[in-house]
Amino acid sequence: MLKLITYLLQQGVATAKNICPDLAEGVIGLPMLTDAPCQSGCTACVEVCPTDAISVFNIDDANHVRLDLGACIGCGYCVDVCPTGTIKNNPTTRVAVRTREELILTTAGAAAEAANKELVTQGRTAAAKIPTADSLSKASWFGRSVAARVVSTGCSACDMELGAAGNPIFDMERFGVHIVASPRFADALIVTGPVSKGMQEALVSCYGAMSSPRVVIALGTCAISGGVHKGGYAEANGVDNILPVNVYIPGCPPHPWSIIHGILLAMGKEHLALAKKK
Amino acid sequence: MEHDQMKLERQQTPFHELHDILDHALSKSSDKRVGLLTSITGGEIATLLLSPKDGTAELMVTAVENNKYSSFSTHHAQFHWFERALFDFFGIVPEGHPRFKHLLLHDQYAQDFFPLRKIDLPTDFRNALPRRYEFLEVKGEGVYELPVGPIHAGVIEPGHFRFSCFGETIVNLEIRLGWVHRGVEKRLTEVPWQKAHFVAEAAASDTALANAFAHAIAIESILDLEITERAQYLRTIALEIERLAVHIIDVGGIGTDIGLLGISSAMGRLRGKALALADLISGSRFLRGFIFPGGVRPVSERKLSEIKAGVIALKKDLTPVIQMLSDNQMATERMKDIGKLSKSLAAEFGMVGIIGKACGIDCDTRRQFKQGKYPELAPEPSIEIGGDILARTAVRVGEIWSSLKTIETLVDNCPHGEEKVTVPEMLPANATGLGIVEATRGELIHLIFTDEDGKICRYAIKDPSFDNWTAISIAIRDNLIADFPLCNKSMALSYSGNDL
Repeated sequence: MLKLITYLLQQGVATAKNICPDLAEGVIGLPMLTDAPCQSGCTACVEVCPTDAISVFNIDDANHVRLDLGACIGCGYCVDVCPTGTIKNNPTTRVAVRTREELILTTAGAAAEAANKELVTQGRTAAAKIPTADSLSKASWFGRSVAARVVSTGCSACDMELGAAGNPIFDMERFGVHIVASPRFADALIVTGPVSKGMQEALVSCYGAMSSPRVVIALGTCAISGGVHKGGYAEANGVDNILPVNVYIPGCPPHPWSIIHGILLAMGKEHLALAKKK
Repeated sequence: MEHDQMKLERQQTPFHELHDILDHALSKSSDKRVGLLTSITGGEIATLLLSPKDGTAELMVTAVENNKYSSFSTHHAQFHWFERALFDFFGIVPEGHPRFKHLLLHDQYAQDFFPLRKIDLPTDFRNALPRRYEFLEVKGEGVYELPVGPIHAGVIEPGHFRFSCFGETIVNLEIRLGWVHRGVEKRLTEVPWQKAHFVAEAAASDTALANAFAHAIAIESILDLEITERAQYLRTIALEIERLAVHIIDVGGIGTDIGLLGISSAMGRLRGKALALADLISGSRFLRGFIFPGGVRPVSERKLSEIKAGVIALKKDLTPVIQMLSDNQMATERMKDIGKLSKSLAAEFGMVGIIGKACGIDCDTRRQFKQGKYPELAPEPSIEIGGDILARTAVRVGEIWSSLKTIETLVDNCPHGEEKVTVPEMLPANATGLGIVEATRGELIHLIFTDEDGKICRYAIKDPSFDNWTAISIAIRDNLIADFPLCNKSMALSYSGNDL
């Protein structure tokens, strides 16, 4: 035991001071759209996309791209094939948002908004049954600390990255985030995975066991849209088919920094995630 | 010696012959084992028989009459989950199965819903098995049941454990899985095959690379496609990086469950260093999208030398932490003779991977079947004989060292050249492809069938966890309930890979 204490003292503090820094060069993040005009007639990105997250449409004879980060698994293949640089790798780890709409990007701006909205509700299976979200009178309800219950319904990658977010390097506990073992004393419900049929009942009863006010965080592409599993017989179409979602964290799996960004967003403390200038 | 790519023919085998073949192949003197048992359309049984000694496999296809056959589980315990899954997905009834009930599809599904069945059910088919799940009830004064899950206390995948206990002692443990069944095998037949590797990766993401690897081998064996030597090296390096990352966190998890939090937090941090190696080779911490049929993503020489430097540094970092765990008397006492599995039961149930190796079974497929630069450059297997938690942890630690060494050797010898070759647009008709990879947890199998149009009509995955879940039920029997978490951690099985 003394040896262990000596070792730990020798290791010093491993915790990163820079919160939510950009990804290192060469690391694949989520894609982003740039101002570079899309090449007319080109559908290279659509063809390689494994989850149909990209569509190409035409406004006034100009080719435009729509990218749904909620369906994107971050494979980076579209970035590799884009001839014009319209789609680029986005090195930021601050990717969490509060609404599903914010995950849908287009190069067409306001002209595409209506179609974006339609995409959000498309394919929702049980809209009528979703409970209404708890109203949070203040964005910073959980500003000092948040107790989070994690329900895993997926392939374990998001769970492992959430575990990593608690390791000495990322150390999310310093922001007052605690992972708790029961929904009874949880403020936030973090859901990973697409919530297929087998887990729907368990997830709803877990949410029901939490006292108000409570927030729901959809962690990862599967939790947001079903990802590669969407539309199958197991109804693995994402959390917001079943529960009201307050924060979406895209990525497959999201980087531990992105997870921390999402939880900070749910706490109303996202300003902490602004990386210090180099 | 270069092993040729494995070619798999579908052999039509009548039932009485299949029974004899299995009896013979699974007898104690035989060196064969069963890879998986499933169906293609619902009208037949497909049995994959492996010969680890010469690195070959046979596929026997047996027509099923009247949608039922007499269960193999009564003679060969290994089949007990295969046959339950066979009914779940195809509706084929294994008559006489000793514990016949649903395995992965729960009450939410309609009574006669068999998602992978392609042919009509016989008109006189009566499905007598209720969707409602009944646990085995242990009777006797003082015996009580303890239900745990599907949602667990920690951050972990869902599963239900039903303990029957007498005092503090576990009399019986029944494991009910299927909570994260997402329909992966069906989805793999629905997407264009060029994109299927993304779905294969999502079968179990801590095994994403191994799944993509097995998928690529299977597709390439269908196409008779030879990939470049450089791609073979890079694939093998990536496979070992994945193994390293998972083993590090699993050994750290042992520290957590014993109460040595310093060790677990150090291992958690060092896993990050292994993931950084993954980032270097693939740009993804989980090695996603790196392997695809035809090759791998390009990797620069600079990155390869950074990987080598990273491996050397990681070896230095891991040494004192692992040393502290193995020197710790309290840790040893918590692990020794707990959660013990005998070699004979492990063999009978066809256990693979860490669990098999910890019982003295040399089941490392890296030394048996062609996968990347294996078996030529396969490391010495990490084998223990104790069969307990201590032995399983020792196997993991042994594999951490051998993976580190193997990565170094592979990087040193990795040739220059192209990373990918051109892949044909179409798969051949009525073909069968097989990919076997030693994933972190053990033998991972991808088996692909194409139809007369060259489309994938059946895609079967056998995760090593599917063989191994029963090991927990056996190993924990007559142990204290307080030892369950540690025993479970020492096996560290996959829920999503099992549930698919």
